[in-house]
Amino acid sequence: MRMRLLLVVVLLMAAFGTTLTSAQEPVVVEIYFPIAVDSPITAILDEYSAAYEAENAGVDIVFSFEGGYTDVKNKLLTTMEGGGDLPALAIMLATDIYDLRNAEAIVPLDVYASEEYLADFFPTWLSNSYYDYDLDGTPELYGIPFQRSTVLLYTNLTLLEENGLTMPTNWEELATVAQALTTTDRWGILLPNSWPYWVFQPFAIGAGQNIVTESDTDVFFNTPEVVAGLQYWMDLFQTYQATPAGVQSNWGDAPGLFADGKAAMIIHSTGSLPSILGKAVFEVGVSGIPGKDGGYHTVTGGGNLYMVAGTDEATAEAAWKFVEWLTSPAQAVDWSIRTGYITTRISGLELDTWTAYIAENPQAADAAATIDVAGREFSVQSLAAVRDILHAHVFDVLNGVATPEDAMAAAQTEADEALSMFKTE
Amino acid sequence: MLAISDQFQNYWRKRLRPRLKPLPYLLILPTVYFVYLFTILPTFKVLRDSQIYFHPNLPQRVIMTDLKLPGIDPAQRSMRGPHDVGWAYFRAMADPDSLVGNEFWQVMRNTALYVVVTVPTSMLLAFLFATLVNRKLRGIGWARIAFFYPTMLPMVSAATIWNFFFTPDYGLWNSALRLFGYSGAENWIINPDLGLWALVIVAVWKNAGYYMIFYLAGLQTLPEDVYEAAALDGANWFVQLFRITLPLLKRTTLFVSVIAIIGAFQTIDHALVLTYELVTGEADLLLYAIYEQRFMQQNYGLANAMTVVMVTILLGLTLLNFILTERDHD
Repeated sequence: MRMRLLLVVVLLMAAFGTTLTSAQEPVVVEIYFPIAVDSPITAILDEYSAAYEAENAGVDIVFSFEGGYTDVKNKLLTTMEGGGDLPALAIMLATDIYDLRNAEAIVPLDVYASEEYLADFFPTWLSNSYYDYDLDGTPELYGIPFQRSTVLLYTNLTLLEENGLTMPTNWEELATVAQALTTTDRWGILLPNSWPYWVFQPFAIGAGQNIVTESDTDVFFNTPEVVAGLQYWMDLFQTYQATPAGVQSNWGDAPGLFADGKAAMIIHSTGSLPSILGKAVFEVGVSGIPGKDGGYHTVTGGGNLYMVAGTDEATAEAAWKFVEWLTSPAQAVDWSIRTGYITTRISGLELDTWTAYIAENPQAADAAATIDVAGREFSVQSLAAVRDILHAHVFDVLNGVATPEDAMAAAQTEADEALSMFKTE
Repeated sequence: MLAISDQFQNYWRKRLRPRLKPLPYLLILPTVYFVYLFTILPTFKVLRDSQIYFHPNLPQRVIMTDLKLPGIDPAQRSMRGPHDVGWAYFRAMADPDSLVGNEFWQVMRNTALYVVVTVPTSMLLAFLFATLVNRKLRGIGWARIAFFYPTMLPMVSAATIWNFFFTPDYGLWNSALRLFGYSGAENWIINPDLGLWALVIVAVWKNAGYYMIFYLAGLQTLPEDVYEAAALDGANWFVQLFRITLPLLKRTTLFVSVIAIIGAFQTIDHALVLTYELVTGEADLLLYAIYEQRFMQQNYGLANAMTVVMVTILLGLTLLNFILTERDHD
């Protein structure tokens, strides 16, 4: 009896072993993928991998869903430390570039990416893609733009028209319009600011100074423009009573409140556009955020494709070909239409699928137009520490325990101290 | 010589060999191995790693640095590490005036407050629930389900539900408080004064029903004749509660308090859902601070040093429990 069982086990193992070795082994390209928007991402990606595998025999595209952006990064880094099997590609935040390269988790892509390929990306999407790790004066390319968004001002145009108001074009008008539209059961504007840097950047830029430049070791927290941006946030509730006072932990609720008419305007991600358009029964206006003295301003956000360190050459080749396919203008437009992310390729905007789509959904074109005015998203060395410094001082201001000038001066001093070690060359 | 050997052989055959049966040792070997692999080895590894400076999010660049740690002389070092720094992290944590020490003691104060408030509150509620649902009333089964229901939810779901309850303006929690005349701050989560209390509320809501089960089990084993005798002697409900029920439930209370305290140290999920955006640290608990240092700040040495503190505290509590329950047996 026991012998027979043993025999069965041995036979089974032999059969399993031969099937594994005898078949033509495909190149497996595994991709860690974060779910960050409210769209049927897994179904869309299954379709993509099936389409790609049909065209390219011998390649097996495996999407591995690990949770959100933080989970993907943590999983990748811990798998790497533990010596586990790593994917070939991962989609992670564009702003994580320094952390990831410093941790030796990603490799440069300059050998793969041709100039004409890169030239067709909107340059602003590439603003967090380069890092001069070896300090030789030439930054290397690490991140390929994939699922990208900006910060938008969503406006209830129907409400504006009913009240005889026009679309605000500067801070003064934005505040007065918001004030005029504030009633006992409706806020003029909602600014989810419990994770403030991203929503704050368009206001700093709108006053004339982004909080970062191209440098990975410099921040601009205490310039008069940035202080003015924070003061304007305070004015919106202190002077105009057009938004709730203090820190607003309502990132998840704001789109629903806007669609329900409980807020006349909200500041939110392009990623919320499909859900808002799906729910709102009024005309929705989409734009960048009005600047202090006019113009519209925003900031980039979202995730890039990274190639994971340690990927063998054959897999890396196959992975890069898939990256080119996934970021091709046709795919980029398809991804944009189906998820709400903004297309990454310039030539994508001329495709028939896109022009047909924006004829039906003009807001998508307005959202895409904000690419032209989008500043670089906040990213520097030791990002978590420097970002915490900024957030802590912004909270102090919103909670009324510090003035914008004092808080931003302290934030600048602390951030300079945190970044000083990168400047002792 | 020969005599000794004979004597020993004799002793071996008659006394030692029968005692040294190999089978029991063989049988516990896998368990011992896994305890070693998953408990003993990591404990010693974390103790060793708490003496190593390592920041994998920093580039491999050599600069003049004291690693911002007390007792380390400035030298040309890689800012990334790894560097052996001995007990520098513990020295930094022990000094409340240093940046690390300041953060660490804030975390310890938060954790102490959290434990001191959540444990007695949820135990008191658990006992009240248990005495209530132990009565033979119609529909008491529904009450049992209602009290026990939060326990069945994962902490992440509980925190997500409460995230909605805590919503300023129209949220259930603030609406309920306003009924009682509350007019204070409505943002409970990203608020330096209220963030920790939000975690306390969620933890009490979630745990009281769980501890109720132990009290209920305890109550149902109590002998009824004692109560009958007490009632005949004219003891009222309060006397019965304080002279009979509570003393008889002493062991249950001891057990529940130990698992409640240990549980309070081990909970992190609600902080990850609710207060992770409050970066100013007023709501950071010890385990959350370890996660934050390890994964967000990538400060491996400090995360390991704080883990050592946490393991020591939990080991102390476990030993205390062991001593107290053993003494109770005698």
